[in-house]
Amino acid sequence: MVPQLVTVRYRRSDGRRRRLYVPVVPVVLALSPLLLLAVSAGLVACSATRISPMGALRGTGQLLWALPGTRFEIDDGRTAFLISVR
Amino acid sequence: MNEQRRQVLQMLSEGKITADEAERLIDVLDREKPEPTPGAAPRSKSRPKYLRVMVDAADGSGGDDGASRVDIRIPLQLLRAGVRLTSLLPPQALTKVNDELNRSGVPIDLTELKPQHLEDLIDQLDEVTVDVDDPDAKVQVFCE
Repeated sequence: MVPQLVTVRYRRSDGRRRRLYVPVVPVVLALSPLLLLAVSAGLVACSATRISPMGALRGTGQLLWALPGTRFEIDDGRTAFLISVR
Repeated sequence: MNEQRRQVLQMLSEGKITADEAERLIDVLDREKPEPTPGAAPRSKSRPKYLRVMVDAADGSGGDDGASRVDIRIPLQLLRAGVRLTSLLPPQALTKVNDELNRSGVPIDLTELKPQHLEDLIDQLDEVTVDVDDPDAKVQVFCE
């Protein structure tokens, strides 16, 4: 399943908390012109390094599809950081 | 009623064994594991989906509180996808990496590392449990 929501939460050393919700699909749609450029650059890089472009696209897709459920949390003293992909 | 149980009851009815002996034999038969059927799944337990790394350190270096905690949950599917990506590395790149590793005194031949081996490694990860209990820190690596 494609990632739908990325939550970023952090607490700075001064104790202030910040929470950021990133809805993936709307953001991807908004950035689609840039993404097209990035994909084109990736394909050129693949052909330059003799990596199969289709394999790279498939691999990247599999990585994206496997991302939901990932959670990365660090709490060190007064600083805390959390990234959660749903 | 299975065949062995029937035989025990038959011996009891013929007077070859006493009621106590029959009861003991039936208890033994009950304790025996049933033989797995050929079509049955090898494990009824659901397979783990995540690799979890948890670190709890009492004397962290940052902050006044002194404690630090790391909690990482990675889908095993993500590791598999990452492993599949490594198969895209061109042979020339692997040769260069091997040369550098040799130069650094780590003679590992990455060209011998096949994607299938890495896949097997990931498949076996669900059995991995690392538990380190230290007075200052606790580290746990397991699959859930």
